[in-house]
Amino acid sequence: MTFYEKELNRIRSIAYSNQGQINTVIGIRNYIENNYDVNLNLDLLSHIQFVSKYHLLRLFKKYYGLTPRQYLIDKRIEKSKEHLINGMSVTETCFAVGFESLGSFSTLFKTKTGKSPTKFQKEQLSRSKLDSEF
Amino acid sequence: MKVTLISIPVRDQEKAFKFYTEKLGFIKKKDVPLEGGNRWLTLVSAEWQDGPELLLEPAPNHFEPSKVYQDALMEAGFPYTQFDTENVDADYKLLTKLGVEFSMKPTEMGTVKVAVFNDTCGNNIQLVEEL
Repeated sequence: MTFYEKELNRIRSIAYSNQGQINTVIGIRNYIENNYDVNLNLDLLSHIQFVSKYHLLRLFKKYYGLTPRQYLIDKRIEKSKEHLINGMSVTETCFAVGFESLGSFSTLFKTKTGKSPTKFQKEQLSRSKLDSEF
Repeated sequence: MKVTLISIPVRDQEKAFKFYTEKLGFIKKKDVPLEGGNRWLTLVSAEWQDGPELLLEPAPNHFEPSKVYQDALMEAGFPYTQFDTENVDADYKLLTKLGVEFSMKPTEMGTVKVAVFNDTCGNNIQLVEEL
């Protein structure tokens, strides 16, 4: 066994000793992965895992380093990029990934990627057109 | 400022290029000849071609401390860097079949599963799957 693996085992026994908590947050993450496109909130997530919402928030942040809401937003932005690249309209994309307002989707998208969804899509589509022409 | 590049020290750029493209499936992005046969050689992930570039840098051949650091990491089994994957077990099977050597089999570590392989160019690389 390498020194690195020994260190991992040592750290695991300290930082990841509570398997019950780990199972809870993994369950929540998987639920977000599969349901990012519907209206998710902490109440719903906490019901699914039978824990209080504040406990859930703390646990998720402790193990993943970001809140469930931040995780959900990143997931939605990642998926929206795929839709935009595949030619879906900005409005359709916004609702397809679970956002309820076009304004908040566009603002978040720009904050996270540096471009508005419209600009991002234009660049991607012109790039694939260029690829096929040259 | 933006983060667009990560650098990996390699002893032999051509050998590294072959390993990272043929075994790991990366794609060549830039290949600029420099002095003395050295190249500015970058790769991107096939599934994320506008993602960060991986620079295969011949630093250990030209700067002794880089070599010393790389050797020390290798000996202790520490990964030089890590790549994300959707499925560590599947990658482990596939890469093992291709002759890639793992110093650590897929292992759960809390909310992730990790494995460590030898890139044959002086580094351990870790694969990470978020659970």
